[in-house]
Amino acid sequence: MIIRPKDVAKSFGVLIMCACAVLICTLFLNSNIDLARIKDQITNPEMMIIYDLTVSSGNMTCALTGGALGLTTVIMLLFYVKHYIDTHKPELGILKALGYSNWKIAKGFWVFGLSVFTGTAVGFGLAFAFMPMFYREQRNDGILPDVSIHFNPVLLVYLIILPALLFSLLAVLYGYRKLKRPALELIRGGNNAKIRKSKTAGKRKTDAPFLQELKQSTFRSRFSLVFFIWFASFCYAATVVMSFSISEVGASDMMAVMMAGIGVVLAVTTLFLAVTTVIKGNAKTIVMLRVFGYSDRECSGAILSGYRPVTYIGFALGTAYQYGLMKLMMFLFFDNSVLGLPEYRFDMQAFIIALFSFVAIYELFMLVYAKRIQRIPLKEVMMEE
Amino acid sequence: MIEILKAAKTYGSGESATVALKDVSLKINDGDFTVLLGASGSGKSTLLHIVSGLECPDSGSVNYDGVDITALSDDKLTAFRKEKVGFIFQQYYLLPNLNVDKNVKMGADLTRNRNYREIIEAVGLGEKLYKMPSELSGGEQQRVSIARALAKKPQVLFLDEPTGALDEETGRQVLDYICSLQKEIGFSVVMVTHNSNIAEMANTVVKMNSGKITETYRNDIRKNARQIGW
Repeated sequence: MIIRPKDVAKSFGVLIMCACAVLICTLFLNSNIDLARIKDQITNPEMMIIYDLTVSSGNMTCALTGGALGLTTVIMLLFYVKHYIDTHKPELGILKALGYSNWKIAKGFWVFGLSVFTGTAVGFGLAFAFMPMFYREQRNDGILPDVSIHFNPVLLVYLIILPALLFSLLAVLYGYRKLKRPALELIRGGNNAKIRKSKTAGKRKTDAPFLQELKQSTFRSRFSLVFFIWFASFCYAATVVMSFSISEVGASDMMAVMMAGIGVVLAVTTLFLAVTTVIKGNAKTIVMLRVFGYSDRECSGAILSGYRPVTYIGFALGTAYQYGLMKLMMFLFFDNSVLGLPEYRFDMQAFIIALFSFVAIYELFMLVYAKRIQRIPLKEVMMEE
Repeated sequence: MIEILKAAKTYGSGESATVALKDVSLKINDGDFTVLLGASGSGKSTLLHIVSGLECPDSGSVNYDGVDITALSDDKLTAFRKEKVGFIFQQYYLLPNLNVDKNVKMGADLTRNRNYREIIEAVGLGEKLYKMPSELSGGEQQRVSIARALAKKPQVLFLDEPTGALDEETGRQVLDYICSLQKEIGFSVVMVTHNSNIAEMANTVVKMNSGKITETYRNDIRKNARQIGW
């Protein structure tokens, strides 16, 4: 096996995402399937309204959670595969030089699906642990008849087996695509980031200070890092604001707390991964600047602060996205309901919580990791080449 | 003057400990061209890293005109490197997303040297000012790293196997260029090499083996790269 499960262990972000997504989806979908079993027993219109409302909000929560976290997981998984290839270029190049085909090497990337499998399995197991409490909470108004918990194997297939297979396949195909390079290029590939160069960028003659030019250049040349930090900020805003404002759409207190907890875990995990990736991706440049005598403040200012505007733009767009998505989902799930479309307004309190926590966490991560780079012995980084 | 007193360095601990330097003492005069000569594992690169302030010895001191740099805080050590030293490495370590002009500017801006393009011209890269490192040959990249190091007007230039990754002709050009600049400007040079021929280009040769200085001698006549058979 070319890629060891130990390498995949680093993709714990995917595991957490999958566990959270499947935990929520299993709770609501299992409940909806079990509710369908007692639909015949619902005879009066009031009960039917509550039934429709329960099923609609469950479906909406699953669509929101599954859709948003599924997309995030795809992006994260692809990022991990790319990161693995970038950091193992010489080994992969040697395998190619020895005669291994792209396909044979790429097949080894299926193990990235293990993190999805583990995450979904953990989420599924946790869901059944929480299920009795969840069912009690759902029916505590006593309007709907009691529903007993059933194990629905179809969920096992749709929420664990299929995602693991799909993500393994995705990792293999993406890996195959990324390996389509000459073996020698991979063997020599010391630089982890692909250097983007526009036709005019190199020729632009400016007398701006070096650090200013470095800031612009770092930003332009590392698009994948810029995108990742933007995406993490986007997800943070969308997840936290959405999870704190879920009570606005009729979720119970328990659900609101649970969603907020999961939202915060997901948001912090994503942001943590993005910040650490950005810092690690720029560590060598920072160390090189330090060798020449640039101070730590100058290094951080020139390289890391360049990402700050992107993160805040990502946060603003994430906030707008979650508002639009909530409106859309409400329209889709509640427009035809007998209750009509519930009113949903922008939750300013949730937004303020999200903004302040985002600023604090982002700046803290940046500060802590910038300090960690300062402690890396200069020689250690230079010997890596 | 640089004075190294009983510098010692060990990597690892316990059974896996490797002694890289054993109480090495050495004096390097201002304007001297010193070569640290030795085989792989002799401790020459460790000594260079310690003298240049890239790492600290476990014991001993490194004094620049009476100031012990091993006692400096990280910030002061950074300031010391900014003011005093320049580096040229075997692997160049150019910033890959910046063109030649900007890579050299990295060194120049530290000392507010606005005439750094003259150095780029001097190393023969005036026509390639806006080329990216990936568009240059190994020799050209090494010349960029020379220009970058010189643009900050160092008092001491440290070179770690600067011709190690170059072909014969390019290596000769690089060495001759460094020697001529050193004679012209008068900065000190400390160069690590395993090539005993290159030692003949230096004033002072320090031979090392197993973490110790085994011999130190001075050349009465310094040869150029062609004379030493390069």
